[in-house]
Amino acid sequence: MDSTAYTTLSRQSGLMREMQIVANNIANASTTGFRQEGMIFSEFVRRAPGEPSISMAGSQVEHTSLAQGGLRRTDGPFDVAIEGDGFFQIETPDGVRLTRAGAFSPNAAGDLVTMEGHRVLDAGGAPVFVPGTYAKILIASDGTISADGAPIGQVGVVQPVDPLRLVREDGVLFRADDGVEPAEGARVLQFFLESSNVNSVLQLARMIEVQRAYELGQKFLDAEDRRVRDAIDTLNG
Amino acid sequence: MIRALKIAATGMSAQQLRVETTSNNLANMNTTGYNPRRAEFADLHYQQVARAGSVTASDGTVLPTGVQLGLGVRPVAVTVELTQGALTRTGSDLDLAIEGAGYLEVTMPSGESAYTRDGGFKRSAEGVVVTSDGYAVEPEIVIPTEALSISINGAGEVWAYFRDNPQGQQLGQLNLATFTNAKGLEALGGNLFAETEASGPPILGNPGEDGLGTLRQGYLESSSVDAVREVTELIEAQRGYEMNSKVISAADQMMAAMTQVR
Repeated sequence: MDSTAYTTLSRQSGLMREMQIVANNIANASTTGFRQEGMIFSEFVRRAPGEPSISMAGSQVEHTSLAQGGLRRTDGPFDVAIEGDGFFQIETPDGVRLTRAGAFSPNAAGDLVTMEGHRVLDAGGAPVFVPGTYAKILIASDGTISADGAPIGQVGVVQPVDPLRLVREDGVLFRADDGVEPAEGARVLQFFLESSNVNSVLQLARMIEVQRAYELGQKFLDAEDRRVRDAIDTLNG
Repeated sequence: MIRALKIAATGMSAQQLRVETTSNNLANMNTTGYNPRRAEFADLHYQQVARAGSVTASDGTVLPTGVQLGLGVRPVAVTVELTQGALTRTGSDLDLAIEGAGYLEVTMPSGESAYTRDGGFKRSAEGVVVTSDGYAVEPEIVIPTEALSISINGAGEVWAYFRDNPQGQQLGQLNLATFTNAKGLEALGGNLFAETEASGPPILGNPGEDGLGTLRQGYLESSSVDAVREVTELIEAQRGYEMNSKVISAADQMMAAMTQVR
C-alpha cells in the first residue's frame, strides 16, 4: 500500500489538533489564571521488513506553559494573584484541584469560595473561613488573611510534586495526581488578579504557520493524487 | 476543524460580554453609588485525546502529559467591584454618603426590602424620607413641616431643629446593612440591590459600629468607575474579538484547502 498519503495525513490531523489548541488559547486570552498550552510533535518511525522505514508525525504530547501572567489591579479585597510558581487549592465535588485564578469572595456561610462556589483551602487542606464583616481585610504575601489586624486564616499556596503531570480541567482547574507540596518562593498579592499568560501575538503567528502548513499538506496530497492518476492513465495506455 | 471555528466563536462571545460589561460601566460613570462590574471567564471542558499516564511502550513507559484539547471559554461571573467612590459635596441636608462598608435599607412598593448606597434622599408630600424613586427609607423617618433644619450625624441619628426648640428633637436612627457576601446581592436597577441566597441575610447595625461605615450628610458617593481602566478594558476586548475572528477565517481557509483536494 502506498504510504505517502498516510504519512501526510498523520501530519494533517496533528495540525488540526494544534489549530484547535491555538483557537482555545486565543479564546482564553482574557480568562483569569489561564495557562497557555502548546502541542509537541514527535516522529513515529515504523520499520517495515525489507522496505525503507517510514516516519509518521505523532502529536501525543502537550505542553502547558507555567510562565507568569500579567498582574491586573482590581482592588477587590479577596482578589489574590500568585507571583512565582504555585497554585491555590480548591475543594470541588470531584476532589481537590489547583488553580491560579484567585478571584475569591466569601459566600453566605462565610466560607471563602471561588467564582463557581468551590471552597478555597489552606496549605493543610482545610477550608478557609472568613466569617462576618470586617472594615479592613489584608492578605499578606504568605497568604495569611488578617481582619482588622488579627489573623483569621491562611490561603494555601502549593505546587504539584510533578508539574509535568498536571491534568487540565474546565473552570481553569488542574488536577495533580502525584500530590502537592508547599510552594517555595511564591508570593501572594492582594488586590490583584493574574491575567491569562497567553501571548496573543505568538499565538496568531503560530496560527498562520499552522494554516499554511496545512495548506501545504493539502497541496502535497493533491499533487500525489495527480501523480497516481497519471501513472494509472499511462499504464492504461 | 469545525471545533476551531466553534472555539473561536466562544471566544468572540466572551469578548462581546466584556464589551457589554464595560459599556454599562462607562454608561454609569456618573451614577451615584455605582460600583463597576467585571466579567470573569473560565475555560470549558477538555477533550482527552491521549490520556496522560497511558502506556506507550512494552517496558511500561507512560505518556507524561498526554493531549487534552480545550473547547473554548465561558463566562463564569460578572462580579461587582466593591470599592469606595469619591464623595461629592452637594450641601443638601438629605443627601447621605456611606464612608466604608454598608447599605441603606429602603422599602419597595411590594413591601420587600432593598438595599442601596445611593443616599440621595428626598422628602415626600407627607414628609417621609424617600429615595429619588419615592421608596421609603427603613426605618421610616417623618420630617415635621415646621422643622427648620435636619441634621444627620455619622452614627445615623436624625435630628430636627425647630424655631421654638433649638435643642432639637431626634426623629429616628438610620441603620446600615452589611452582608457576608455583598457581591452576591442581586442588582435590581435604580441603584437598588436585593438579598439573595448567595449574599446571606442582612446584618443590621448602627453606622460606625462593628466594621460598618459612617454616614456623611451633605455628600453623595460618586460612581467608582475608573474611566481609564474601562477604556483599556475596551481596547483589550476589541483586540481579543478581532483575534478570535482571525482564527475563524484561518479555520475557514483550512477547510477550503481541505475541500479542494480531489
